[in-house]
Amino acid sequence: MRRLLTFSLAASLTVFGVSCSNFLSSDKVKLDPNNPSTATANQLFVAVQGGQFAQQEGIIALIGCLWTQSCTGTSNFLQTLEKYDIASEDTPSAAFSSIYEGGGLVDIKQIEAAETAAGDQQYLGIAQVWEALTMAVAADIYGDVPYREAAGAVATPHLDPQAQVYSDLQALLSTAITNLGGAGPGPGPLDLVYAGSTSKWIDAAYTLKARLYMHTAETATGFDATALNSAVTNALLGIKSGNDFKSKHTSAPGEDNLWFQFFDRSGFGQYVVAGQNLADLMVARSDPRLPQYFGPASPGPGFGGQGPPNASTKSPAGVSTLTGTRNSPTFSQPIMTYIENQLILAEAYFRLDGNASRAQAPFDLARAAVPMPAKPIATVNDIMEEKYVAMYQNIEVWNDYKRSCYPAITPITTASGGAPAAFGGKVPGRLYYGTTEQNANANVPDRSVQNQVGGNIVTTPPANAGFRNPNDPNPCP
Amino acid sequence: MQVTRSRVVPIILSAFLALPALLAPYGSTGLAAQEPVTITGKVTSDAGLSLGQVEVAIPAMGLGALSREDGRYAIVVPGARASGQTVTVVARRLGYKSQSAQVTLTAGGVTHDFVLAANPLQLGEVVVTGAGTSMPAEQLGNVRNSVSADLIERANEWNAVQSLAGKAPNVIVTQSSGEPGSGSYITIRGSRTVGLQNSGSAQPLIVVDGVPIDNTSFSTTDFNPTDGLTAGSIEGTTQSNRAADINPNDIESVEILKGAAAAAIYGSRAAQGVVMYTTKHGKAGPTHYSLRSSTSVNDINHTYPLQRSWGQGLGGAPPGNCNGSAGPSNFACRTSWGAAIPAGTPTYDHADEAYVTGYTSDNTLTVSGGNDRTTFYLAGGYLRDRGIFVGPNNLNQRATLRFNGTHRVSDNVKIGANMAYVDARGNYIQRGNNTNGLQLDLLRSPPDWNNLPYLAANGQHQSFRFQNPQVTDGNKSRGWNNPFFTLNVPQNTSNLGRIYGNVTAEFVPATWLKVNYTLGADYSNDERLEGAPQSSTPPTTTGRVTEGKLINYQIDHNLTATASRTFGQDFSGTLTLGQGLNTRNVRQLANVGRTLIAPQPFKLSNTVSRDVPIDAETVIHDASYFGQGTLSAYGQLYLTAALRNDGSSTFDQNHLRSWFPKGSVAWEFTKAIGERPVLSYGKLRASYGEAGQEPDPYLTSTIYSGITVIGGYTQGMGANPTQSGFGGLASSIVKGATSLRPERTKEFETGFDVGLFREKADLSFTFYNAITSDVILLTPLPPSSGYEREAKNSAKFRNRGYEVSLNVRPIQHADLAWDVGLQWASNRSLVVNLGGPQFVYLDPNNISPRVAVVQGQEVGVFYDVGLAQCGISPAGMGAVVPGFDLATNVPNDATHPCGGASQGAYFIDASGLPVKDNQQRVIGNPNPRWTGSVRSSLRFRKLQLSGLLDIRHGGQMYNGTRAALYAYGTHKDTEVRADCSGATCVGNMHAIGAPDSPIQGPVVGPGAGTPIPIGENWYTDIGGLFGGTPAQFIEDAGFVKLREISVGYTFDEPWVQRTIGFSSVELRVAGRNLKTWTNYTGYDPETNLGGSVQSSRGLDYFNMPQTRSFVFSLTLNH
Repeated sequence: MRRLLTFSLAASLTVFGVSCSNFLSSDKVKLDPNNPSTATANQLFVAVQGGQFAQQEGIIALIGCLWTQSCTGTSNFLQTLEKYDIASEDTPSAAFSSIYEGGGLVDIKQIEAAETAAGDQQYLGIAQVWEALTMAVAADIYGDVPYREAAGAVATPHLDPQAQVYSDLQALLSTAITNLGGAGPGPGPLDLVYAGSTSKWIDAAYTLKARLYMHTAETATGFDATALNSAVTNALLGIKSGNDFKSKHTSAPGEDNLWFQFFDRSGFGQYVVAGQNLADLMVARSDPRLPQYFGPASPGPGFGGQGPPNASTKSPAGVSTLTGTRNSPTFSQPIMTYIENQLILAEAYFRLDGNASRAQAPFDLARAAVPMPAKPIATVNDIMEEKYVAMYQNIEVWNDYKRSCYPAITPITTASGGAPAAFGGKVPGRLYYGTTEQNANANVPDRSVQNQVGGNIVTTPPANAGFRNPNDPNPCP
Repeated sequence: MQVTRSRVVPIILSAFLALPALLAPYGSTGLAAQEPVTITGKVTSDAGLSLGQVEVAIPAMGLGALSREDGRYAIVVPGARASGQTVTVVARRLGYKSQSAQVTLTAGGVTHDFVLAANPLQLGEVVVTGAGTSMPAEQLGNVRNSVSADLIERANEWNAVQSLAGKAPNVIVTQSSGEPGSGSYITIRGSRTVGLQNSGSAQPLIVVDGVPIDNTSFSTTDFNPTDGLTAGSIEGTTQSNRAADINPNDIESVEILKGAAAAAIYGSRAAQGVVMYTTKHGKAGPTHYSLRSSTSVNDINHTYPLQRSWGQGLGGAPPGNCNGSAGPSNFACRTSWGAAIPAGTPTYDHADEAYVTGYTSDNTLTVSGGNDRTTFYLAGGYLRDRGIFVGPNNLNQRATLRFNGTHRVSDNVKIGANMAYVDARGNYIQRGNNTNGLQLDLLRSPPDWNNLPYLAANGQHQSFRFQNPQVTDGNKSRGWNNPFFTLNVPQNTSNLGRIYGNVTAEFVPATWLKVNYTLGADYSNDERLEGAPQSSTPPTTTGRVTEGKLINYQIDHNLTATASRTFGQDFSGTLTLGQGLNTRNVRQLANVGRTLIAPQPFKLSNTVSRDVPIDAETVIHDASYFGQGTLSAYGQLYLTAALRNDGSSTFDQNHLRSWFPKGSVAWEFTKAIGERPVLSYGKLRASYGEAGQEPDPYLTSTIYSGITVIGGYTQGMGANPTQSGFGGLASSIVKGATSLRPERTKEFETGFDVGLFREKADLSFTFYNAITSDVILLTPLPPSSGYEREAKNSAKFRNRGYEVSLNVRPIQHADLAWDVGLQWASNRSLVVNLGGPQFVYLDPNNISPRVAVVQGQEVGVFYDVGLAQCGISPAGMGAVVPGFDLATNVPNDATHPCGGASQGAYFIDASGLPVKDNQQRVIGNPNPRWTGSVRSSLRFRKLQLSGLLDIRHGGQMYNGTRAALYAYGTHKDTEVRADCSGATCVGNMHAIGAPDSPIQGPVVGPGAGTPIPIGENWYTDIGGLFGGTPAQFIEDAGFVKLREISVGYTFDEPWVQRTIGFSSVELRVAGRNLKTWTNYTGYDPETNLGGSVQSSRGLDYFNMPQTRSFVFSLTLNH
């Protein structure tokens, strides 16, 4: 017995006692066994597309929908957001992170580096257009944002002035267009938007350039003809009919349309209904897109919406949910379209000419694509109305509002917690920087500063001018 | 070389296979030759009380017996070993001074009675001090907190962690809820870490019989990252903590190592303290049989205050169409802001309708005994806890088996084994921040809606937001579930099998040297199922099945050698050298299936599609060396010094090993100055120690993730990196750490223990100051850098506190005894430094208010927005009152909005409404100011009466349930309401700030003093969850709780033996949590949304209620 015991002790000492130099440091215990430590450009590219589809369909688009009164939040955080109460909500912060983190700029830069090294200019060009699209959201929504130092070696990147970001993006898109004409082979079928078609990508890059020129066209005294002319030049080379830049989804969870996820999976979808402003407009226009956008109103018949804030006004038919035919897991959300491109042309022409002479043709093309019958343009609002309806669920609706003040909505005044006063009684023109960025980056001004100077840390606008970005010098009513 | 399971298992197995042979009766020959000698006698206390459970032994011969309840004992010395010699017989029992006597073994038998003096200060008792070390109580240089089997038994708790509630100063135990299987969370001397999610690392290390065991809690919801984006552990079901697998009936004693000075011996796993359970062992002597059977009757301890005067609807009007899918989209169906319910119309008691009386039965049968060579303890227990909710799904069952045995192989070699098997099965109910959760569904029900039956005549699930469902509505969301559907139809289970224990060997090669070896193992397999039926609320409207497994295996090896030596007559010392190895492996395998094909069963195979599976593992290796030396001088001065060197695979490559020193001194000064009538015993003690906290594994790896969803903004949303059949990877939002060391707590502790009035009282006082540096935070990075977080040794916390315990024994007679124990403790934590960021959230996923560490504040404060208040609002309220900063209070400046206002005055706008801050600030603190307990017991002959009051003073709770029920108009407080049926609300006018208004306190601003109607307008806006601020719903969560009260009677007269064959029978009637005194308006201030899973404390959002219990127990001893 004693021998057995001695043996057991000796055996266990042998097992444990012998110096195991890598017991604490072998790869098995040091390296995460659950996740890869390297990724190829192709793998990153797939994730970037998934991430940026989600970004384009995400919370910013929803906030834009609420604030331009295309939809209405009836309860929970949706109602809070509806009332411009973004201070107490962390939800929008996720959108700021999505610009830069995994599936965003940090991965796009890795793809660009890999394809530069590989000499695949087409792939590089496509990645650069994605970069421009991603960073355009940043500049449009947050104004001055980290860009030149972002997702690189700098621990706390500085904010770049919004105008500089826009001009950097114009330059980047020009480079991308050059690259797209260069050597391939490109991503091929991994490209979920255009399956590697460089000509379609070049068109999309021009449309994006045109869009961004429109974003820089507003000045304190009117519209800048140079920017408008640049928008025209680029839009003329923009997306052709049938070649819309759209997201791609499958019915698998996590690969499905984010609006669908919101309505069917989040549990909060029930708190957003059709906005009376958009629903009534579309009913009045007999717009064929009504059943695409909305479900039947209750009690019906037909379609209708809820006015903001909740329970104040309703369409005659009652209120529709947002469960039109678009509410499908596989619905490809339009991000940049032929119709948008035509309406950019129309708006730029109209603002340059002060009349419909050049604007009418692209306007009619846009309506024909719906299809809607031709209609003479009376004011620029006719063009903006067309765009407001067409760009439903797109972030661009909010950007258009900031420039054109269309639709002529009344900002919510019964908001909780003094929010209208905080934003000068206006529809906010921007969002606060993400809370994590605010917390960890000393270059980001306090919210109080953001409130006072509209996010532009250089120029101080007049008090109560609203909460806006530098590219939006004029308040809406 | 790597230690793998395959090498260790055979060793354990061979040891166990050898056991039956070892346990065979020793030396079966040669006994018949001579007559045995029987030593008999009785043991009584110095107060004259018969003492049972006294171990009477002849140590030299390894013989012994336990006294029965009447104090009688008998030791039989085999004839072969009795030759008329004189032996030393020792009688010992916890709480009494042991006594020895010389007895001559004369033929025919001898009698010796013992009278044991009470030993309330436990002097001379050997205290387990961890990692294989022990020392006599008086030599400890730090405060001792032990909990005896008696106290554990009287607590009548099923959970071995919950049993510790109120038992030791600054040991705070919080039960998540009163549900069966609900976990308990333990904090010792405040939070010294933030605790990374699911690691359980913010809690003390749990050690059973010398081996660390798994005490994690895991929410099944975390198997579902797609739907759980913001959910984590704040929804789903309650979850147990794995230390609840210990059967409390098996516990002999608990030692709580508080603070780094005591816990340093456990090095890098001990920064939050150590709780050491020792299980019962057999004693030499006749075989004892004991059956403890208890039954408790449980019910809800507080019903929720709901209004029953106003019906479903909005704007004072009925809701209109709530039929079918029109209901969920009709806002008016959601709320109870409808018309007054006419007299005579039936209303329904939603506060009470979902509860029944719960029953718990807990039976443990133990058989123990042994002889001079071999002892054994064998116990089987079965617990069945049927909870207080209607329906089949709140049930916790636990079957435990334990075998503890020792065998003396030779005079200097003893081997042993402690083995436990557990089969734990839980059926749970969805709860918390969860639209499929019970309380959310239940408490929002309008009073004029009958939740029963929950199925319509056509078999379809109906709820107040989805009335009259059609047969075609099977896959449509009900808005919210009918609470009875939630109770009856979904299936949430956890089925665990676990084996843990150890084999030990003690080898004494020389009188001065002892070698101890322990090889422990802990293996469990926990199978989880969450079956959400069709017609549930999104994201599970078409049904969803989450099936997963948690497999956990740990091996622990500990080898110590202790040498003892005396130097002259005044000095003696010991030196212990030890070595330990520990491996911990966790496997997670899980799948989520969506869209049920048929309504049942909840099987993955019955679903249409599957998410990306979870297939994760972690491995941690630790290797340590330690040494401890003790020196006692002149029998009164005791010095201890120890040093541990720990290596862990979780540290970065350049910091693989760390040192943890400790030292202490204890001086029994009454030995120097002599005992006095008033001061009969006195000890001063001081200690210093360092203990650490390992990081989570793999934080030093930079990784790409294929499963983390991107771009979602609320639960159930986001994009996978993989899309359309193409594999994708995204950079992890957590940047790989470049440098990672253990967190390190340096703690100084000092105090005294005194015995007063000839030990009629004793008093213990302790002060400690603990500085924790290198606290590992998932430090926020600017997202613009490309990453969200990085693990860093960045923060510094301080915890400082006092602990006092006073025990008074005014009456100690044979027939009457009374004693009172008081405990008081305070702890203040302080975030000294955060290393950069202004704040860090404790749990990245949580509800509002966020719980955070903020520089200059206590750890774990509520950090969120509040109403604008003068002098309290952070800088930057200039936007609310243009041009002015409310943070700077200017009493004499009439032009300032806060001019002349008192600190904290609410700023009221022209309409009479308060306004919101737009910046986060500290709005509350869940940490109690002080905690205490009062224990008293009274014995009159064989009747015992005892009670325990548990006191938590201060500390706050976020009552989110109240905030939500305000918004939905079902809370009792909304019963008196303005009439909002017209264009504007009228009536029920109150000026904000006035004593009768919803917000009290000083006010300032243009609308100060202006009465406003308080009704739907108020509660659905700034007065409720959706327009208000979390700060409005922070409540005082202090309480006084009658934890235990019990009356017991022991029958041990001879007739008991004669008539029923047992030596004693104990009957006890007890109450648990019978009464809670509190200002908290929710169910109970003892609750937490994150349960035992999250380290954030003080959140209540549709948490489950607590229970109170009446317990009847019967103990039969033979």
